[in-house]
Order: sequence, then C-alpha cells, then structure tokens
Amino acid sequence: MDGEYSVRGLAVPETIDLLHSLLAEARADFPEVSEVDASMIEMAIIEIAGNVVQHSPEAETIVYSFTLQVLDDRLVGVLEHSGPEVTGLPEPGMPEDLMAESGRGLALAEAAVHELRHEFVDGQNVWTLVRLRDA
Amino acid sequence: MEIDTSNVEGKIVTVRLDGRLNMVAAPRLKSEIEAVVEAGATHVLVDLTAVPFMDSSGLGALIAALKKARQAHGDLRIAGANEQVITVLKLTNLDRVLRPYDTVEEASDGW
Repeated sequence: MDGEYSVRGLAVPETIDLLHSLLAEARADFPEVSEVDASMIEMAIIEIAGNVVQHSPEAETIVYSFTLQVLDDRLVGVLEHSGPEVTGLPEPGMPEDLMAESGRGLALAEAAVHELRHEFVDGQNVWTLVRLRDA
Repeated sequence: MEIDTSNVEGKIVTVRLDGRLNMVAAPRLKSEIEAVVEAGATHVLVDLTAVPFMDSSGLGALIAALKKARQAHGDLRIAGANEQVITVLKLTNLDRVLRPYDTVEEASDGW
C-alpha cells in the first residue's frame, strides 16, 4: 500500500513543525517503515526546509509545499518553494573546521538520503529527496 | 522547547532540554548557555533525554556552547541522546568532540 501526504506553509521557522507532524502521521500509518529510514528522510527534509527558511530573501514571502510519498521500495519527499532560483550550492562535504557552528545542513541531508537533487521548474525551486527503504 | 537550568550557583550546570532542538530552539539554547557561563559556570551538562530530534542548527548551538565553556576553561558534555541525535553526531563527525554519554551521572564523572 502506498501513501501520499502533503502540506503547505510559509517559509518561516515556526512552520517547520508542520513537516515534523506530517512525517509523524506517515510513520503512524506505515509502522513497517523502518525507524532508520523514517528518521533519515526526516533529517534530510528538515535540513532542506531549514535552508529554504534561512536563505529566504527578507523582503519576500516564500511559500513552500511539501509532499511525501511512501512507496514499497522508497520514501520520496518533494519540497517546492517560490522565490529566486537557488544557485551557488556549496560542494558536498562537511566544513573543514570541526568547530564550525554552521554549514552542515546540506551535507547532512545528502548523507541521509540516497538521492538529493535541486531543479528550477516553472519558476519554482524543486528539491527531490529519495530514501531507498531497507529490504 | 523547554530549557531548564539547574545548579547555576556552582561551577557545574545541568541544562535539561525538552522538545526538538531545531532552528527555532537553537538560538535560545545558545543564549541560555552563554548566560550561565558568563554567570560563572564552567562545566555544562546538556541533558538530551527528552529531545526527540536535533537538526544542524541545534548541533551548531551545542558547538557554540562548547566553545563558550572552553573559553571559560571548562567543558560541555551531552547525555541521554537518542538514536537520531547520535546519527547526526556521527554523520557530521562531531561525535569526536561531543561524545554522547548515556546518563548525566556518567557525563559528570571526573568533574
């Protein structure tokens, strides 16, 4: 059985909880999804959403929509948001300075899922995250 | 997130967190620990037992707090982290500087 969950919100810190709630709902509906898989895609989604919030232009209202698909072999998250095209993404990898206080979000997201890509489609930034489920 | 600080009169402070340690809570945690260190505490125990989730912002706040404690010739240790938090520490290689202790008692051993 497959499942699909969606939520929309303004890209502000307080709406990150909407994503946590949606993921909790999916976990409750699909207890067979392993704790590791559920936790890993949650981490990746929250990091990407956090980046969107953090880098949103101050003068602009950014709206996002998020959809999670629970499929037999994978979990797929798609986060779309308005605003200018996201460019200049850093090279993958953690900061060289172990004591750096920031700069780990994207690398953490990449480490937690099997596929992470960003596209700019029809004026929307689209982040797709895929976590292959444990056999 | 709720932040409960105890033993602020001594050198050792226990900071108990309850809730997600994310981009909303991280600035508050950083400010709270900076305040207790400036008030004279040097050794900070962060009890993560009631933290179900931590993101990279939360991790950044812990690193900032660790640096603040070390500047005061002290240290910061974490205890009670769940699997998700430990995974974040491992994926970022920060388990090398923020070793997760099972309990607050174990973390404060030797202080």
